[in-house]
Amino acid sequence: MRTAGWVTTVWMLGWVAQGALAEPAFPVERLEVYPQQFSLVGPYAGVQLVVTAYGKDGRLRDVTRECGYQIDEPSIVRVERGWVSPVADGSARIVVEWEGSRAEAVIQVTQANESERVSFTYGTLVALTKHGCNSGACHGSPSGKGGFRLSLRAFDPALDQVTLIREEFGRRINPFDPEESLLLRKPTMKLPHGGGLRLTAHDPAYRLLRDWIGQGGQLDPQQQPACVRLEVFPASGRVLHLPEASQQLAVWAHFSDGSVRDVTPLASFSSSDESVAEVDERGLVVGHNRGEAAILIRYADQMETCFLTFLKEVEGFTWNDPPQYNYIDEIVDAKLKKLHFLPSELAGDEEFLRRVYLDVVGHLPSVEEVRAFLADPDPQKRSRLIDQLLERPEFARYWALRWGDILRLTVGQVGADGVYKYHRWLEQAWAQNMPYDQFARELLGAAGGTLTHPPANFYRTTADENDCVEAVAQIFLGARLQCAKCHNHPFEKWTQDNYYGMAAFFNRVKKKPAARPGELLVYVARTGEVVQPRTGRQMKPWLPGRGEIDVELVDRRQAFIDWLTAPDNPLFARVEVNRIWSYLFGRGIVDPPDDFRESNPPAHEELLEALARDFVQHGFDRKHIIRTILNSRIYQTTFRPNPWNEEDEKYFSHQQPRMLSAEQLLDAICFVTGVPEKFGPLPAGTLATHLPAPDLVKHEFLKIFGQPERQTVCACERTTESNLGMAIQFFNGPLIYEKLRDEKNRFRVLASAGHTDEEIVTELYLAALCRMPSAEELQAAMEHVAAKRKQFEDERTSIEQQLAELSRQMEAVRQGVAERVRQHKFNQVPEPLRDDLKKALDKSPDERNDIERYLVDKLGNLITVSQEEINTAITDEEKQKIKELSEQSEKLRAALPAESAYRMVALEDICWAILNTNEFLFQH
Amino acid sequence: MRKRVLQSGLIALGLFWLTSAGVLVAPAEETISFRRDVAPILVDNCLPCHGAKKAESGYRVDTYERLMAEGDSGAAGFVPKDTDGSEAFRRMVSDDPAERMPWEADPLPPEKIEIVRRWIEQGARYDGEDPKALLTSIIPPPVYPKGPEKYAFPVPVTALAWNADGNELYSSGYHEICVWNPVDGALLRRIENVPQRTMALALSPDGQLLAVGGGSPGRLGEVRIYETGSGQLERVLVSTTDVVLDVAFSPKGDRLAVAGADNILRIIEVATGKEILTITSHSDWVTAVAWNQDGTQLASASRDKTAKVFDVEKGELLVTYSGHNQPVRGVAFHPDGKQVYSSGADNKIHRWNIADGKKAAEASLGGEVYRLVVCGDMLVATSADRTARLYKLDNLEQIRSLSGHGDWVLSAAAHSASRRLATGAFNGEVRVWNLDNGELVKSFVASPGL
Repeated sequence: MRTAGWVTTVWMLGWVAQGALAEPAFPVERLEVYPQQFSLVGPYAGVQLVVTAYGKDGRLRDVTRECGYQIDEPSIVRVERGWVSPVADGSARIVVEWEGSRAEAVIQVTQANESERVSFTYGTLVALTKHGCNSGACHGSPSGKGGFRLSLRAFDPALDQVTLIREEFGRRINPFDPEESLLLRKPTMKLPHGGGLRLTAHDPAYRLLRDWIGQGGQLDPQQQPACVRLEVFPASGRVLHLPEASQQLAVWAHFSDGSVRDVTPLASFSSSDESVAEVDERGLVVGHNRGEAAILIRYADQMETCFLTFLKEVEGFTWNDPPQYNYIDEIVDAKLKKLHFLPSELAGDEEFLRRVYLDVVGHLPSVEEVRAFLADPDPQKRSRLIDQLLERPEFARYWALRWGDILRLTVGQVGADGVYKYHRWLEQAWAQNMPYDQFARELLGAAGGTLTHPPANFYRTTADENDCVEAVAQIFLGARLQCAKCHNHPFEKWTQDNYYGMAAFFNRVKKKPAARPGELLVYVARTGEVVQPRTGRQMKPWLPGRGEIDVELVDRRQAFIDWLTAPDNPLFARVEVNRIWSYLFGRGIVDPPDDFRESNPPAHEELLEALARDFVQHGFDRKHIIRTILNSRIYQTTFRPNPWNEEDEKYFSHQQPRMLSAEQLLDAICFVTGVPEKFGPLPAGTLATHLPAPDLVKHEFLKIFGQPERQTVCACERTTESNLGMAIQFFNGPLIYEKLRDEKNRFRVLASAGHTDEEIVTELYLAALCRMPSAEELQAAMEHVAAKRKQFEDERTSIEQQLAELSRQMEAVRQGVAERVRQHKFNQVPEPLRDDLKKALDKSPDERNDIERYLVDKLGNLITVSQEEINTAITDEEKQKIKELSEQSEKLRAALPAESAYRMVALEDICWAILNTNEFLFQH
Repeated sequence: MRKRVLQSGLIALGLFWLTSAGVLVAPAEETISFRRDVAPILVDNCLPCHGAKKAESGYRVDTYERLMAEGDSGAAGFVPKDTDGSEAFRRMVSDDPAERMPWEADPLPPEKIEIVRRWIEQGARYDGEDPKALLTSIIPPPVYPKGPEKYAFPVPVTALAWNADGNELYSSGYHEICVWNPVDGALLRRIENVPQRTMALALSPDGQLLAVGGGSPGRLGEVRIYETGSGQLERVLVSTTDVVLDVAFSPKGDRLAVAGADNILRIIEVATGKEILTITSHSDWVTAVAWNQDGTQLASASRDKTAKVFDVEKGELLVTYSGHNQPVRGVAFHPDGKQVYSSGADNKIHRWNIADGKKAAEASLGGEVYRLVVCGDMLVATSADRTARLYKLDNLEQIRSLSGHGDWVLSAAAHSASRRLATGAFNGEVRVWNLDNGELVKSFVASPGL
């Protein structure tokens, strides 16, 4: 009995356990360990195992930190969280096990207990970099910290060598007793350290530093093998599913002698998007959100990127197969579908119309154009409109404005005459759709007078060859190279040598005054070399991806331009299509659009690649790219998000509302009110978006709304961040106020032409927002007009009443004077007759008897008061009183509204309100 | 009776257990000394975060008075005979990593915790004189280990000195002073119980005493006085918070000027160790110091890019010279007492007037200029350009350049009577020269075993 009960319990437990096993959270098909074989050579070697479980549903999961590790020869290796380190020479088999599945790796260990020289470059400096010692905020800052200065991320090993080993008589290291070294006691906080605890005795870096010191702080031999590349496992592209979306990375360094080392614990890791995924110092990536993250891995001077995608089941998400107009839609949709973002719907005609006008020609469509487009039944009308807009002169002028920003067109830089000509050249390049490679060639290869040959102004706006390199890199290569002027770029492949190597293409460009005043002559000197200031080395011209080259030409620029504009140059086309995309979406595929770097990867690599390919295949035809993008459904999507894409700000599932630029906004205000701005000496009708330079005519409103001064080539100079000044301009600024009050503004002209309130309001909506007002909006507007009318009528009645009262008071004063005169005259009548006369006067003529009549007849004229008598008798005081009253009347009368004024005030209010809507201020 | 036996048995067992675990350091009845036993533990493990530079949680352990007081938590660091109520101790032994000290580091070894526990239980008493004195200044001077029998690496020759007769040359070693025969480069003897690094050596005017300035970088600076004949430690003259960089005996020999990486210049009475004058005028390390001939003025060089002259009696700053615009490494008086020589990272020697601080002359070298030594009517300078150079004192005209060192020349000492100059380099080499003709007399690596 007792036995049976025990059996039952066990059986039930077994059943429960089996039930749990029957439906595991992640049914495993197979387990894979990477690498399956590895050879550990020397005491510092180690290898990071990465264990992947492949599920029956096709998904995979990194279980490196969850699986069990069994070692058949524990005397040979040790394993901790997948990190295998050597113990003794021999071979060991490691069996990994997770959820019942197994895989195994074989590790060979040799020279585990032999002494090995710690490399200065690949041990010591890497250790310092890993722990942030030489970062820009710490000892890597130009003046160091606490008297200890390292080169930024070890770009200058020769300097670091002196600093670490020799400076202050070798104070920082102690080979006789390595752990007593300042270099170890400080970061471990065994001594006060301004940077706090940075290193512990358990870190691999500690052991390397300690042993390097113990070996005497030696430098590397000249012929030491160099690290030539990094290899990261998993390769880019792995897809992980939230919430269990972590991934251990393994980083291998390949050396020039063919040897391979796992450097995972020494590599530095960073994530391009920490909202999507974070990475820790051991290379463990933890996903937080849907999306893609590029994990940047650095080791010594090498860099590698691992792209990971994180997916999440989104409840209620079903792909709705939206129509695809061209390859852009196919590519973008593919990613949206994968990430479970549902694209927003196609924008309505109104939304599309306003967007495409602002993007292509920079201004709003006329009311007639809006009406015509909305009424047009042609299904092809959007494409037709796009084609038309691209041929309009405003297109060329508007896109010249954007290039004017980049090329720093200012009067200050190129002179007043120069700025017109340079701007005209840019405008014509767009108008003629000059192929982009030709554009770059004409610009960068320019020479001659800056007035006769406007693109030569490029060299007028660049101060010297350094400025030139920085401008060319940022404009055409999307690289912000300024850092590399003084030190190797802390995160990127650009080195200081690269910087000056590129400068060697441009240093022979010289300028001198030309015969014409205001003109400079750009020419190429026959000789001239660039010297790298840190090393003192004379630099050979250097090209990204190609290295140092020999250039026989006197004008070395040609070699650079040939390389730059070659169809196989990956950057040239990508940077330009990305720039165009950023103009049309308010955000680049790489963003900021002039900051291409490994640590800032494109949001959509395939999209960028496809656009660039299309661009090259069409002979660098920029209009073709603009047209293609405008015709895509992705461009024509509404800005309104749906519940399945409102989190997305990166993958173009919906359009992003963005504030109109300063120039667009000013033009739009002028257009809606119908009152244009006059820009100094520029011809009437010039739009703000057509101004050649910001300092040609300074305009307060444009400054407030972020018109760039064009001091740098950086796209970031044009700001759309809102500020209080902007709010004040719209709320109560003089520019808008005066246009609203202008006698010839849009609604006053319409009113005087006899249009109804409803027609005028509708017209304002069409002008400002490219749409009809809704019934509610119209009703609200009409109610406002009616309310204003009532308010004015009430006001007029009140004024009229006040006028009557004033007039009554004036009369009373006059009556008083007359009465006084009369009384005076009455007193002239002989005493005995007064009473009789009074009685007679009190009676009406018919009631008087003869005597009374006689009295009145004889004495009546005595008591009649003439106007002259009143004027003579009136006192100064009474005169003053009348004057005051009459002035009050005048004032009131002046304030008495004209018959139509109520209407204009109401329309001003309505127009003001429309201009103050986000719908007007933003492009969407 | 039986009970007592059991008790003593348990005690014996307990003692045994403690001993076998290597925990028991001293017999239970021995009194723990705060200065000797406890303070070094606190200085090594707690002071980095709870000191004058950083005072985490408002708690400091740099003096006895402060470490007994409360931090921000309101709990006293140490309470006599109350280990549970001693917040600092509670945190040393806590199991909670969020509380345990030292923060984010390994716990203290059990034998050290045991010392602190017993000190608290014995009443947490202070066995120094002034409870406000810095712990670093009350810890008894350490007894240092011997230098390595054979050096694995050459040690940079940062300091050199001659004995009075000129038949012994002292050089800086690792935890020792090596005494060499200048004629054949043979190691004569080794002076022990010396700080980790020696940055300066000075012989007293009577030749009886050798002052050694040095220490452990970032931790401790010391000046120790040894009897030259026996090599015995006479006394530890002063302890500071960072390495001592230069020392100089006053002309009478009763005082020692001490320059250090704690930015302080001190004058110490040699017989008593009393600090007569403390000068805090420099804002960075004081790298070198020199007396004038009558012992009334001191000249100093500093990494703060200045050289200065002070009136010793009044303790006043007389002049600041900023002409180098770079760290200053060497300083010396002209025998007439009116001018000073200084040298530094601008690769130059400057001669300037004390009266107005104006430069009178300069000489350029090919690298940083470290030491300046006056010998008769000559000035000796050592430089990173691998030379030592001799100049005429009066016009800074170069007499000769002594080349042959394969590394930065860091130190120099002249022996006027025997007309010998010794120079020492970063790579451990010492060269002995004939002062009169510049000929090399002998060279050897001043690191035993190399």
